[in-house]
Amino acid sequence: MPVIAAKRTLRSHPSSPPRKSPRRCTAATPNSTPTKNRLGGADENQADPAAVKPKWNPKDGEQLKRAKMALHLSTAPSSVVCREEEQNMVLEFCKGCVEHQKAGSLYICGCPGTGKSLSMEKVKDKLLNWAKEEGLPLPDVLSVNCTTLTNTSDIFTKQILGLNQTQGKKVSALPLQQLQNMYSQKSSVKNMTLIVADELDYLITKDRAVLHDLFMLTTFPFSRCILIGVANAIDLADRFLPRLTSLNCKPIVVNFRAYSKDQILKILEERLNEFPYSVFQQQALELCARKVAATSGDMRNALCICGSAIEMLEAEIRESACNLNTSLEEISSSRQNFATAPDFMKKREFDTVKTDHMARALSKTYRSPVVDTIQSLPHHQQIVLCSSMKHFRGAKKDAILGELYKSYVGVCKSCLIPPAGILEFSNMCRVLNDQGLIKLGQSREDKLRRVSPKIDEGDITFALQGIRFFQNCL
Amino acid sequence: MEQENHKIKAVSLLRSRICDPKFIFISESPESNYSKLKFMISSSVTEACNNSILLLGPRGSGKNAVLELVIQDLLQEYPDSVSVIRLNGLLHSDDISAFKEIARQLCMEHQLLFSKAASFDDNSQFMVAILKECGLAHKTVIFVLDEFHLFAQGKQRLLYSLLDAMQSITSQAVVLGISCRLDADQLLEKRVRSRFSHRKLLFLPPSIEDSQKLLMHILTLPIDSSFPHAYAVEFNRKVQNIIEDRRFKETLNKYLNVDSSVKHLLRFLFCAVSHMDLQTGFLSRENFEIAFTSIQRQPKLECLRNCSILELQILVCMKRLEVKEQSLCNFNSVMKEYISTLTSERYARHVCLRAFEHLIHRELICFTDNRGQSLSVEFRPVKLLISSAELHQGLRANTSCPPKLLKLMDREG
Repeated sequence: MPVIAAKRTLRSHPSSPPRKSPRRCTAATPNSTPTKNRLGGADENQADPAAVKPKWNPKDGEQLKRAKMALHLSTAPSSVVCREEEQNMVLEFCKGCVEHQKAGSLYICGCPGTGKSLSMEKVKDKLLNWAKEEGLPLPDVLSVNCTTLTNTSDIFTKQILGLNQTQGKKVSALPLQQLQNMYSQKSSVKNMTLIVADELDYLITKDRAVLHDLFMLTTFPFSRCILIGVANAIDLADRFLPRLTSLNCKPIVVNFRAYSKDQILKILEERLNEFPYSVFQQQALELCARKVAATSGDMRNALCICGSAIEMLEAEIRESACNLNTSLEEISSSRQNFATAPDFMKKREFDTVKTDHMARALSKTYRSPVVDTIQSLPHHQQIVLCSSMKHFRGAKKDAILGELYKSYVGVCKSCLIPPAGILEFSNMCRVLNDQGLIKLGQSREDKLRRVSPKIDEGDITFALQGIRFFQNCL
Repeated sequence: MEQENHKIKAVSLLRSRICDPKFIFISESPESNYSKLKFMISSSVTEACNNSILLLGPRGSGKNAVLELVIQDLLQEYPDSVSVIRLNGLLHSDDISAFKEIARQLCMEHQLLFSKAASFDDNSQFMVAILKECGLAHKTVIFVLDEFHLFAQGKQRLLYSLLDAMQSITSQAVVLGISCRLDADQLLEKRVRSRFSHRKLLFLPPSIEDSQKLLMHILTLPIDSSFPHAYAVEFNRKVQNIIEDRRFKETLNKYLNVDSSVKHLLRFLFCAVSHMDLQTGFLSRENFEIAFTSIQRQPKLECLRNCSILELQILVCMKRLEVKEQSLCNFNSVMKEYISTLTSERYARHVCLRAFEHLIHRELICFTDNRGQSLSVEFRPVKLLISSAELHQGLRANTSCPPKLLKLMDREG
C-alpha cells in the first residue's frame, strides 16, 4: 500500500516536467528557439534521439510508468503540433470578432480523434492572453458539450446561466426569448461571449429549430456572441442549416482532416521527446503511423496501440523472468553449470519496443475475432455454418429455419454423421445468432423463422479449410 | 453409518465444485483469460491510468465468472483503492435509469445520501464530480457493463460520458464491457469507438483435451484425511477408467459437438453426479449415459408418443398430402385423403375434427396465417410442423400404433 501511494504522488502533479539529461541540454544549445527546431527538419529530429538519448530500462517501474503516461490519452501536450494552421484560422476569426465587437459563427468539422477539442482549448487560452495583452475587455468563455443536455433547448438555458454570472438578472421568459430580447437592444455590457458547442449534432431535431435558432442569434443587431460549433460531419451546415445561406449568415467552415502518416509520426515523437530515454525503435513508430493513417487517421488509436506495444514488451519481460527463475533452479541443482548463468542472462536483454511488438499490438487491435470463434465452435455448429453458406450461395438471400435444417441434414448424411434433432438445431442457431454470426428473425413457430447470413462467406471458408472434415463440403 | 456419510459427502463435494466458478476458472497460467484480465486491471489500479476492455465470447463461456473472480481478488489486494459499479443492459439500457443507478451505487459506496428526485443532469454531473474526487484520492472506479451491446442502442450518452470522463487527467476508471456479440465494438457510434481502447479478451470454448482435463479436475476426490484413503483411491481409479473408456468418449463428443461451452459441460456433469449410486458410492458410465439421455430431449417425439391412433392417422394423411406437393391443406382435404386411404374402421367426421383440434393445440400443426380468425376451423389452411423422420420415429415409439399404419408410412418414406 505505501508503494502504491508513493507511485500516485507523481500522478497528482502531472504537469511537473521530467528532468532532462545534461547531454540533451547541451545538444539543444545551438538552436535558440525550440519552435525553429521543430520546423527545421525531420532529419535533425530523427537523428537527435538516437544520438543523445540512452536506452531505457523497461524493468524499472518508474521509467515504465512515465513512458506509459507520456502516451496516455489524458496527458495533454503543452503545444498541439500539426494543427497550427487550423488554430491560427480560428484564432484570427475570434480576434476579429473581439476587436470589432461584432458577432460571428464558425463550424469545425472532422473525424473523431483529429484534435478538434484539444485545439479549441488552446485557442481559448491564446485568445484570453491576446485580449489581456491588447488591453481589450476579456471575453466570457462558455464551453458546452451537447451530449450532456437532457433536452436540446437546454443549450439556451446554459447560455443564459453563463451570461447571468455577470449580470445577475432573473426573468421568467423562455431562455431563447430572453437571449433574443437581450440581443435586440443595446446594453451596457461590453464583453463578448465565446461559446464553444462540442458535439453539435446532438442538437439536431426533426424541425431543426434549435440549431437554426442558435446560429441565428449571431445575426441580431446587438448580438455579442461568437459561436463555434464542433461536430464530425463535414456537410452539417449545408444539410441542416440551408436557410442560413439565403440569410447571409452561414458559418465559416474549418475542416480538420484526418492525420497523415507524417503527422502521426511527428505527434508521437513530440510526446516521446518529453521522456529522457529512447523507448521505441524508429521502424516500430513508423509501422504504427502508417497503419493508423491508412485505417482511420485517429490519434487516439495510435496512442492506444503504442501503449499496447509497451505492454507486449512488458509481458515478454515477465515471461522471461519466469523462465529465468526456472533455469536458475535447474542451475542450482547442478552446480557445474553455474558459470553459464551470466551469459544466459546477457542474451535476454530487452531494451526497446521493436517492430514485432508493434505488429502484435496492431494485430490485437484491428483483427476481427470472427475466424478464431468459428474455428473454436463445436462440430455441429460448424456444420450448421457450412450448410448455411452452401444454402445462401447463388441468388438466395434468406431462408426459413426448416429449409436450412433440410440442408443441414443433407450435409450430415453426405458425411455419414447422425444429425442433431430439430430442437438442438434451433438451439444452435440461437447461439450463432447471439454471437452475431447469423441473423435469426422472429416468428411464433420455430421452423418458420427467417435466417440470413451476417458474416462473409470467405471468413467461413478460411476458418474451416484447415479441417479435413470440411474439405469436401466447402 | 460411517460408510454412508462419506458417500454423501463425496456427492456434495462434487456438486459444490461444479457450482463453484473459483474451482473451474482460476488458472495460474499466464495464457489464461483470468491472468490476462487480472494483469490488465491491476496495472490500471497500480499505475493510476484509465482503461477500457471488452470481454467477448458466447453465452456460457465464463465471462462473468472470471470477471467476478478477478474483482474479488482485487478487492482483497487493494481494499481501499477499488470500488465497483455494476450495470446490466437488460435493466439499465436507457440513459436516464443508467445514470440514476450509477449515482445510487456511488452514493452507497461512499456513504452519501442518494436522492431519487435528482435529474439526469444532476446524476451525470455527480458522476463526473465523484470520478474527479476518486482520482484525487487515488481510487479506481471499475464500471462493469453487462450485456454491453444493449448499451450501444440509441444515442449512447452513457458510453460517451464514461469514456469522455476517462480522457481527463483527474479520473481513474476502468470500463469493462461484457458481450456475447463478436461485433460489439462495431455497434458503437464513431465518437464512442474512437475513445474506446479496443482491448478485447476473447473467451473461446475449451478444446476436447481441455474438457477432459477439466473432467479429471472436477471429478477426482482429494486423497487426504477428509475421505477414507482406500475409498478415495478406488473412486479416482474408477473415474479414470470411465474417462478413458471409448464409449464414454463417444458420448462426450456427441454431447459437446452440439455445444461445447463450459456451462453446457457442467450441466452434464451435475446431472451425472446427481444420479450416482449411493449404495456402491462410485460413479459409473451408466450415470453419464442416463444424463446424456435425459438432457437430449426431443419434445415433439414425446408429444407423438402420447397421441391417439386417430391423431396419428391424421398426421400420416397430412404427410401424404405433403409428399404430393401440397404444402398447404385444410381439414377438408385431409378428410378426403383420410377417406381414400383408410378403407376400414373409419371414424365419424366430428370425431376427426376434434382430433384435428387437439393436434393444433399440441402445436404439431399450425395455421399458416392469422387473418382468417372468423373462418371455421375446417376451412383455414394448416401446415405440418414435423418432418418425415420425426413422424417415423414417433410412429415406432408409439406402443399402440397399428402395424398397418407403419406399413403405410414406410411405403411413403
